[in-house]
Amino acid sequence: MGVPYIPVRGLAGTDVFERRDDMIMAKNPFDTDEVTVVAVAQNPDVAILHARKADKDGNALLRRHGEDVMIAQASKRVIITAEEIVDRITPDEIGGEYISAINVTAVVHAPCGAHPTGVDGYYDMDLEHIDTYITASTDDASFRSYLERYVIGKTEAEYQRLVTARVLEPAR
Amino acid sequence: MTKGFSPTCSTEELLIVLMSRDIRDWETCACGALSMIPAASMLLAEATTAPHIETIILGSDELSGNLGKDIHFLTQRGKLDLFYHSAVQFDAEGNFNLHVLGDPNAPTRRLPGGYGSGLMSYTAKRIFFFRTEHSTRTFVPKVDFVSGASVTPPEVKRSPEPFRLYTTMAIMSFDRQTAHYSVESIHEGFAADDVRENTGFDVNIPEPCPVTPPPSEEELHTLRTEVRERMISTGTYPEWAERVLQVQLD
Repeated sequence: MGVPYIPVRGLAGTDVFERRDDMIMAKNPFDTDEVTVVAVAQNPDVAILHARKADKDGNALLRRHGEDVMIAQASKRVIITAEEIVDRITPDEIGGEYISAINVTAVVHAPCGAHPTGVDGYYDMDLEHIDTYITASTDDASFRSYLERYVIGKTEAEYQRLVTARVLEPAR
Repeated sequence: MTKGFSPTCSTEELLIVLMSRDIRDWETCACGALSMIPAASMLLAEATTAPHIETIILGSDELSGNLGKDIHFLTQRGKLDLFYHSAVQFDAEGNFNLHVLGDPNAPTRRLPGGYGSGLMSYTAKRIFFFRTEHSTRTFVPKVDFVSGASVTPPEVKRSPEPFRLYTTMAIMSFDRQTAHYSVESIHEGFAADDVRENTGFDVNIPEPCPVTPPPSEEELHTLRTEVRERMISTGTYPEWAERVLQVQLD
């Protein structure tokens, strides 16, 4: 990642282009009989990625099967939040997708930091809370009261107490 | 229950059987998330007429060793033979909409297919669309949002194969060269006028129009036994298979 743009086939003639200015149709420079979509790079200022384990240098084990490493490699700064801080994570560590410290700006110890989603081997999704969130997000007023109850002015510890101790128990 | 067919055949079973017949042996076929009907149709084809197909079922615990990105890159390099889509609207020009209903700036419904379907429908060699109804709310003169277009300039490299579209009333196809929908066959119990009345644009209907051969006892039996058991034992939408695919007791 870090490339300025990326080509992809598809989408010609769709209304997607009317609503986005980050993709255009352009000639394939190696085959001028072909046009493809060219999408401008997405380079987030900050990516915050939740890991199973991290070491203090920033090497970490991210969730498997995600796009987290690609996101990190496209971002200007990367904050890893982790269930556990351990002595050392190497590329051979099993149980997650390895990301090396060269990609990482900061590491935060954040047990239960994925709540209300889950982390394999640590805790399950909190479906009840996800339901609460979805219900609250159906209109502005109920979402504002959700934020006031759980987020605005709350510390992480206060949030964790509010969403019950249940999620702190390892799922087995 | 679907009008016109054996009262023991559900809409889901009808679409599963019809699509399974059109899978060609040795094809690499894939479906996306929450695709019970496509998954069952691939497994039925594999159990009957197309035993050598490669199936990619993202929603299956055991039948797919693939991730979303595997399908993405497979189809980008032109190696995916068949992909399944549904959509909420189809129009006369061969556009489909799987994104929003109503004004895109203030939609009455938001749907998930703003992007992925707009890639796959250009890069898979063949596309099977299906709808569990056939009505003028689905077949409209102009879609509210173009998620995918059928007619594109020649510089857009894509398969020449027509889209095929399966509904509860007919099988249709959209020919990119003539830019027109044609009915290939009409299901038992429906007439050409039923299709015209329930399609919000002009569609070519041959005269006389072939009748879709209804799902046979054998196809339904295989679906309700072998395919059902395979879906349950492999974690391929097992609750759905248990509920929808059932041997009917007389």
